[in-house]
Amino acid sequence: MKKLRLLYIIPVILFATILLATDFNEYAEENNNRTFTRQTAESTEYFDQMMSALTHPRCLNCHPSDNKPKQGIEAHPHYFGVERGKDDHGFTATNCNTCHQEENNDFSGVPGAPHWGLAPASMNWEGLSKTEIATSMMDKSRNGGKTPKEILKHLTEDPLVLWAWNPGIDAAGNPREKPPISKEAYIAAVKGWFEAGAVIPQ
Amino acid sequence: MSRDNTCLVSTILHLNNSTSAAFQLHNKHSASTIQKMNKNKKTSRRKFLVRGGLGTLGVLAIGTYVFRNPLRRKTLSIAETLIPPYNGSGTKANLWFEITKDNQVMLHSSKVEMGQGTFTGLAQMVADELDVAIEQIQVIGAASATGIVDGLSTGGSLSIASLWVPLREMAATMREMVKGEAAKKMGVAKSDLTTKDGVVSGGGKTMTYAEVAADVTEWDVPGTPDLRPVSSYKFVGKPIPRVDLAAKVFGDPIFGMDAEMPDMLHACVIRPEHIGATFKSADTSKAEGMNGVVKVIETEDWVGVVAKTFSQALAAKRAIKVTWDIPRKWTESDIREMLQVGKGDRMITQKVGDELDPEDADVVSIAFSSPIGAHAQMEPNGAVAHVEDGKATIILSTQVVGITQKQVAKALGIDTDDVNIIPTYLGGGFGRRLNTSHAVMAAKMSKEVGKPVKYFFTRKEEFQNDTFRPPTHHIMRGKLNANGFLDSVEHHYASGDVAINSVLMPGFAHTVLGTDFGAMRGANIMYEKIPNHRSVQWHTTLPFATSWWRSLGLLANTFAIESFIDEMAIKAGKSPVDFRLAMLGTEGNQARIRKVIEVAAEKSGYTDKVKGDKAMGFAASIDTGSPCAQVVEVSIVDNKIKVHKVTCAFDCGIAVNPDQVRAQCEGSIMMGISGVLHEKMTLKDGQLYPTIYGPYEMALMRDAPGEIDIHLIQGAEVPLPVGEPPLGPIGAAIGNAVRRLTGKRVGDLPMRVG
Amino acid sequence: MKISFNINGQPQSVEIEDPNTPLLWVVRDMLDLKGTKFGCGKAACGACTLHVEGEAVRSCSYAVKFAEGKNVVTIEGLGDRENPHPVQQAWIEHVVPQCGYCQPGFIMATAALLAKNPNPTDEDIDNNIVNVCRCATYTRMRKAIHRAADLTPSSKVLNE
Repeated sequence: MKKLRLLYIIPVILFATILLATDFNEYAEENNNRTFTRQTAESTEYFDQMMSALTHPRCLNCHPSDNKPKQGIEAHPHYFGVERGKDDHGFTATNCNTCHQEENNDFSGVPGAPHWGLAPASMNWEGLSKTEIATSMMDKSRNGGKTPKEILKHLTEDPLVLWAWNPGIDAAGNPREKPPISKEAYIAAVKGWFEAGAVIPQ
Repeated sequence: MSRDNTCLVSTILHLNNSTSAAFQLHNKHSASTIQKMNKNKKTSRRKFLVRGGLGTLGVLAIGTYVFRNPLRRKTLSIAETLIPPYNGSGTKANLWFEITKDNQVMLHSSKVEMGQGTFTGLAQMVADELDVAIEQIQVIGAASATGIVDGLSTGGSLSIASLWVPLREMAATMREMVKGEAAKKMGVAKSDLTTKDGVVSGGGKTMTYAEVAADVTEWDVPGTPDLRPVSSYKFVGKPIPRVDLAAKVFGDPIFGMDAEMPDMLHACVIRPEHIGATFKSADTSKAEGMNGVVKVIETEDWVGVVAKTFSQALAAKRAIKVTWDIPRKWTESDIREMLQVGKGDRMITQKVGDELDPEDADVVSIAFSSPIGAHAQMEPNGAVAHVEDGKATIILSTQVVGITQKQVAKALGIDTDDVNIIPTYLGGGFGRRLNTSHAVMAAKMSKEVGKPVKYFFTRKEEFQNDTFRPPTHHIMRGKLNANGFLDSVEHHYASGDVAINSVLMPGFAHTVLGTDFGAMRGANIMYEKIPNHRSVQWHTTLPFATSWWRSLGLLANTFAIESFIDEMAIKAGKSPVDFRLAMLGTEGNQARIRKVIEVAAEKSGYTDKVKGDKAMGFAASIDTGSPCAQVVEVSIVDNKIKVHKVTCAFDCGIAVNPDQVRAQCEGSIMMGISGVLHEKMTLKDGQLYPTIYGPYEMALMRDAPGEIDIHLIQGAEVPLPVGEPPLGPIGAAIGNAVRRLTGKRVGDLPMRVG
Repeated sequence: MKISFNINGQPQSVEIEDPNTPLLWVVRDMLDLKGTKFGCGKAACGACTLHVEGEAVRSCSYAVKFAEGKNVVTIEGLGDRENPHPVQQAWIEHVVPQCGYCQPGFIMATAALLAKNPNPTDEDIDNNIVNVCRCATYTRMRKAIHRAADLTPSSKVLNE
């Protein structure tokens, strides 16, 4: 029993040492290769909580798979034929900022947040499973070259991401639906998942 | 739109009362003074009286109706093709023309301008008889206090057609009056004088009309001159640029929404969201203390809030909690259940030959339907009102100046003459502004706060409180004869209100007519050589307001009939063009329909064979005497119908302004495409939905055909209606093209494939 | 709260209680420039389109506070009868407007498009010009947009 427990502890110590000795970021990168950490019940729970938000239309609507932003809780294609355009911000003259500004507009019901726009095409999540989304999110070739630390920052600090918990009112004046967990719980889950090794359940 | 308001003279022509005209000096006089002066004038009753007496469609119709169906049908067929003469208020001396000091002619139009180009056409007609340049004419909508306002409406595509003779006669009369006075002033015989560009010339002398008119107090009034031949006109028949073009391109404040009055306040009214909801009570306590709020006004059936700015009024409105009585939450299926062929009030609106035996195995039967349609005009409804000392002044976009005047007077308990309705340019009409009873709300709120009040609808209120195009249901039945032509065809159609229960129809009209003649537009079979044909209306009043929508029943009725005709041509193995031509006569309107069909077929190179990914569709209609045939080229990409080209042959008689007739054809075709491919209101949780552009899908730039090729044919010696008839064929033409492409007949609007 | 910006080339300050008030209402009701229209108030129809720093913006959904220090141009500042903008000139040549209510918004959207893309294809026009015109003057607008692209500022005609 004792031996077993020791065996179990070794990687934990290793983990802690590496964590202390190296940039968290680099650790997580290695971790992403899943060479020496394992899925735990705790990390899976963090993962599921995080994903309950990331798979909500408030997030997915701007990660489309067909270059068409989606709108509403039923994720219909954006009205008026709005599309990604060359720079993820719409067409040349009629772009996201023609209607969307840095804040929600309660007069019009048009949502807004800083740098309102689509996630780049490589980050298409629409129609993907939770595992596929996470894999894509952690894959430098698809996530805009972001390190895990940068991903963590994007997920927990970017005002456009956090807009999901301040989605304002719609054109009819009704409050938009928020993701199923609170912003605080979401941020805690994201941090927890990363701290637990950012393990993607298979 | 600056203009010199100081007028040298005004011409008061009593259209309905007299051929006599009087020039009144009213330098610096207010318009109301002029009106009073003219009221006291004795007027002779000659030519115009006769025309006025024949008057409106209503007068003629009511005078003729008897209470037996066959005769009513006859009357209805007259009503359908009749061009009612001008419907002026008839009893008042009013102002038509003014000549300003700078030698401009101001025309106070009895008809409003809502995009249809009427102001331009009227200016052309006046210019040609009055001998002034088009640039010398300014057209304004007549206000009820100062001009002739139409007692009925601007609508029915009748503005140019109804004023064609009387307006030119008035202009010609005025020209002769100026010449007569000039003869005296210049000392030259009248017969030696000529007129051009607002200048009288003769005997080596010239005088402008303004100079002639200056200081004249008594005018000699000649008999009504003969009108000049149309072929001699310089402006009529030419593509003159719209008179309102610059104002609309440079953003001039010409619309009702742009109107202001000094010291004006802003108001919002809370309107029900649920169908059939009635106002019970409101908790206004929070709103009353809000910033800028002047007064919260609660009446028996609505609550409004007046504030210093629109934003403040809107914020306060949101803070008011209204309790509504919602007796029932209507559903889409409730409406479809009510609105069916076989339910409601039945009336045969056309009956030739024998009825089909529904049990006959050779009878082909196809059902069609159309959805609830919104007007969705771009300028929201609204009004600026000022009520003070028992008098009301209201500026608004309306198609019914005279009716709105009466409604406001009645609601305030004051004389009609004490209500001045000033119509502006309309940011779209399409029939929506045939009911502008919200002017009453603005007036009541102004009375409450003692200041001018501006009130307009939010877009959601527009969508939920529209007077919608009613949904329809149709069953077409027909049978071919041994030669493969139609032996019988029947159109059974169910519709909600169009004319019935509208402000334009007297309450007893339904009883007298027994049918809704608005829903009947385009419902009768136009192919006279089909031995047996009939049309049967099933009318039902729905739980929400339905009324006039550009072309009324024409869009849906023609969709059903002309889709069916096409299907029967396919069954008979005949070209749809030959099939139609064989069923038409050769006289009168039959010949005119024949002509537009031939021209459309020829110019489009119509074929019923699919070419590559495209097919053509053919359809025709006649509405208010103006036949139209259209050919469309259609493909289907990603289950979406794309219209590439439309060829349109249209006969509206004399095209007073061919460019604007084309513009109306283009607009009608495009609005029709929008209607049949995109638009649909539904019921959701007892409310009408959607409430905003986008969810209420409409044709946009990307849906416009690459080409609309219009061919105008003059098959009559008068101008006939233009603004609505070209809406007829487009739906069926597209459906017929889709049928060739897919082998499937689309029966329901908006059309969906795949 | 005081907000200052340039409008149609002139410096302008407004004193406003709620800085979130849409620029549309400031322009229409406080500055009395009525060419910018209220159509839907939901940024859906485009009737309220004006330019902020040269970009097409739907002003019913643009809080006035965001205009602070910026250049705003409305239809009144785009051109006038003596000196029409090429888009206005093309609109006149093709007699585009019917009721006219939506036209300033379309003209402003088109001017912004041409500033960025001087020779738009039909597809560019379809993608960028997504305002709503109920009179459905789209076919004439398309012709006018191509014509405006051909008109350089130097070829502006001096009078309509």
